[in-house]
Formats: sequence, structure tokens, C-alpha cells
Amino acid sequence: MSDLTVLLVATAIAAFLCRAGGFWFMRFVPLTPRVERALRATPLAVMVGIAAPAVVRGGLAEAAGLAAAVVTMRLTGNDLVAAAVGVAAVALLR
Amino acid sequence: MAPVGVTTAGMIRGFRAGAVLVLPVAAYGVAFGVLAAQASLAIAQALAMSVFIYSGSAQLAVVNALSTGETGLGAVVATVLLLNARYLLFGAALRPWLGQAPALPTYAGLFFMGDGNWMLSMKAHAEGEQDGGFLLGSGVAMFAPWIGGTVVGYYAGALIPNPAALGLDFLLIAFAAAMAAGMVKTRGDLVPVAIAAAVSIGAASVTSGGWPVVAAGLAGLLYAALKR
Repeated sequence: MSDLTVLLVATAIAAFLCRAGGFWFMRFVPLTPRVERALRATPLAVMVGIAAPAVVRGGLAEAAGLAAAVVTMRLTGNDLVAAAVGVAAVALLR
Repeated sequence: MAPVGVTTAGMIRGFRAGAVLVLPVAAYGVAFGVLAAQASLAIAQALAMSVFIYSGSAQLAVVNALSTGETGLGAVVATVLLLNARYLLFGAALRPWLGQAPALPTYAGLFFMGDGNWMLSMKAHAEGEQDGGFLLGSGVAMFAPWIGGTVVGYYAGALIPNPAALGLDFLLIAFAAAMAAGMVKTRGDLVPVAIAAAVSIGAASVTSGGWPVVAAGLAGLLYAALKR
């Protein structure tokens, strides 16, 4: 095998281990109400963790896009519309 | 706990929900295809990376390592593990839902799991989706444009307009913000939001890749585990 093939196989295995590893590991952790509550709380925190640094890293356009997405979501309750409005705001202001 | 089914209908629901991610994922795929061509990878190599690694940031790290001649296996694998560490958390969060689902389609769904379709799946489950096929279906909906984008970018990247000018790079972020806004039901929910924002912004100032996301997720997890 060439160096590149070895590299490819190794990185592919590493990527799959990350995807499957957390799910597999939780087999051995009893799903007590506390554990379940904690796991169910992660999506909100993860989504904030995706959005917040991107806005800080970006500029005015990104801040406006975030505000537009959040406000639209609160008004319409539709995340597709909200995301589209956020993207449109960023595209216009860039 | 009742067993969780995996049906074709569930996969189709996931596939349809995932359609919203086709454009931005294709745009990222194109960006990777362009870089792969510039780094003189063969099309088969670029495709193999998109199929088996299937992670934009991790693939960029590998191409970068190749183009700088830095092919130390340990360093590259460690980089991929670090960049994808957030998936450990994503997978763990799926356990309460999919723990009782058949293993094969569940692990297949995990193979195709990306940030966008994980968010869609968690939201669908919070709104009552029980079918384990949703994760797989929405993952496949993202996988196809990723592969297609890689090929298009490899051969025709120079002809494609810059996705950033269209704001496409912001779609995942806008989506995350909109979904977070939709998940905040009470004033009390603003506490973990503030904690996650502060932690991720703090983490982003000292590290990069997936770490700010992991830090925010762990902060939210700990807050929920410790409150009351």
C-alpha cells in the first residue's frame, strides 16, 4: 500500500470511531434520569456553540444574519424560513 | 423501554428533511474538490476521502498534510480525531433515542452523520419522531451532494461562483441559531444558552476546529446534570 492509501484508511477509521464511539460507549452508562436529562440538554448547547463563535469571528454581516435568524424563528416558528432569512441578510451585507 | 423501529417511511422523512442541506453541503463538497485538484490528488483519491472520511475539516487537514509533505501518520490521525471529537458527543446524545433500535441501520446512520443532519434529527426527535431511520435518511440526503460536489469541484471548480458570496457558508450557522431559538421555551432555558455561548466563545479564542462546539456541548450537559 502507498503512503496515501495507509493515510486514507487510518483517517477513515478515525472518523468512523468518532461517529460511532460516543453512541457505543453510552451502552455501558446506565440511562438514569440525570444522564438522560444531561444528554437531552446537549443539542441546544451544541447549536449555540456552533453559532456563537462564528458570529464573534465574523463581522457585522454575521451578527445581523444571526439576529435575523433568531428574530424570524421567534416570529414564525419555522427554522427553514429563519435560516434562509439569516443567509439572505449575510449575502446582502457582505 | 420499547424497541425503536427503523422503517423506510422513517428514512424517507429524514431524507426529505435533509433536502434543505443539499445546497450548502454541495458547496462545501465543491470547495473540497477544488482543493483536492489543486493538491494534485487523483479523482479516485479525492472521492475515497469524501466517501470514507466524509468530514470537510478532517479532509482539509489530510490534503493540507499531503501538500506540505507532512504525512506523519500519527499527527494526521490525531488531527482527524480532534476535529471530529464533537461526534462523540453527538452520538452519545442519540443513545436515549436509538439505544433500542436495530444495530445495523443505526451504525449505518452514524456513518453518515454530519453536523446538519444530527441537528435535524435531534429536533425531529424532540418533536416526536421515533423512527430510527430518520438519522440514516437525513444522512444519506447530505452524503449524495457531498460526493457530487467533490466531483464537480474537482473538474469544474473554477467555473462555480464563490459560495461565501451567496452566504452559503452561513447556512449551518443560521440553522443552528434558528433551532436554538426554537428550543428556548422558558426563561430558564436562557441560562444554558448564555453558558454555552460564553464557553464556546472563550474556547474559540484559545483553540479551533471542533473544540468550541465540544466545550459548549459539555457545558450544557454538565449544567443539566447538576441543576436541581
